[in-house]
Amino acid sequence: MFQTTGLLAANISDELTEKVFPKNIIEKGIFVVNDSVLSGFIVVVALLIVALILRLTIIRKWKTTPSGGQMFLEWLVSFFDKSADEMTENYSGLMGPYTLGAAAYICCGVLIELFGLRPAIADVCACVALALCTFLFIHTLGFAKNKQRRLKHYLNPINIITDLAVPVSMTFRLFGSILSGMVIMDLIYIVVQSIWYLGLPIVIPAILTPIFTLFHALIQSYVFASLTLTFVSEAIEPVPKKQKKKRRRQAQPQTDASV
Amino acid sequence: MELLVTMMVNLLVDMGPAIGAGIAALTGLGAGIGMGIATGKAVEATARQPEAVGKIRTMLLLGLAFAETTAIYGLLISILLIFM
Repeated sequence: MFQTTGLLAANISDELTEKVFPKNIIEKGIFVVNDSVLSGFIVVVALLIVALILRLTIIRKWKTTPSGGQMFLEWLVSFFDKSADEMTENYSGLMGPYTLGAAAYICCGVLIELFGLRPAIADVCACVALALCTFLFIHTLGFAKNKQRRLKHYLNPINIITDLAVPVSMTFRLFGSILSGMVIMDLIYIVVQSIWYLGLPIVIPAILTPIFTLFHALIQSYVFASLTLTFVSEAIEPVPKKQKKKRRRQAQPQTDASV
Repeated sequence: MELLVTMMVNLLVDMGPAIGAGIAALTGLGAGIGMGIATGKAVEATARQPEAVGKIRTMLLLGLAFAETTAIYGLLISILLIFM
């Protein structure tokens, strides 16, 4: 009895170890593709095809009395555009499309797990790429808005560490949550294989998938988009506030004295 | 005595990653407390001002994401300790 359970546990950990880390599929010199990157390619192609189809069907028949698809598209685009408008006033034309694109890539890259492929985001490199895009946006927009005045911000050396920690924390937030969801779902699939009661291997994953896959996909894409907007709006803020405050403080006692 | 020491060392070498993974998963404690406090405050705010549900919800989600991050770090470290 104990031996069989021991064998089962060993099997589970072996199978999980195989699935946790990505496997290389194509190796030709520098050109190395693992299964996460492959599903990333599939996601990008699928998103482009869907965008083309929407452009040719729904957007061509744009009406003043909208249909269902038009309503959905308008809601989706205006949701990101509005939040970009609120946070980053002048640069919303740049940040709205970027956040929509990143959120769509993250969401679809996780949801591809439902087709049995490895999620595209469950590879550190994909998360690093997304986080570096955000990092570049934060600093280019910050320097474009405030010019050299932004360098004053770095007089306090702690701010350098704070800025460098942003992409690292975004990377590991995304990677950790997606990887943990994937590991839990894989564990469930492996455990369920040994149950052969009527339909249970189909029913249990169907109940648990929305919690660990759908929920993570939607929440993480929303969080990534809103964090990007928050950091960009922080970088865009006009810098010289201290001088104004000092002037006000100097001005107030004078007015008091004159009164 | 030496036998005991070698046994202890062997045990630590064998079980070290598992113990570390268990300790790393303790980050869930702090994150759970923080998320509970945040959710409770959000419910209070909604009860006091039901019109502001939308704004409160977005702020709550952002705060939850930040609080969740520490728990995810712990989880990631324990997963890496177990499988690497």
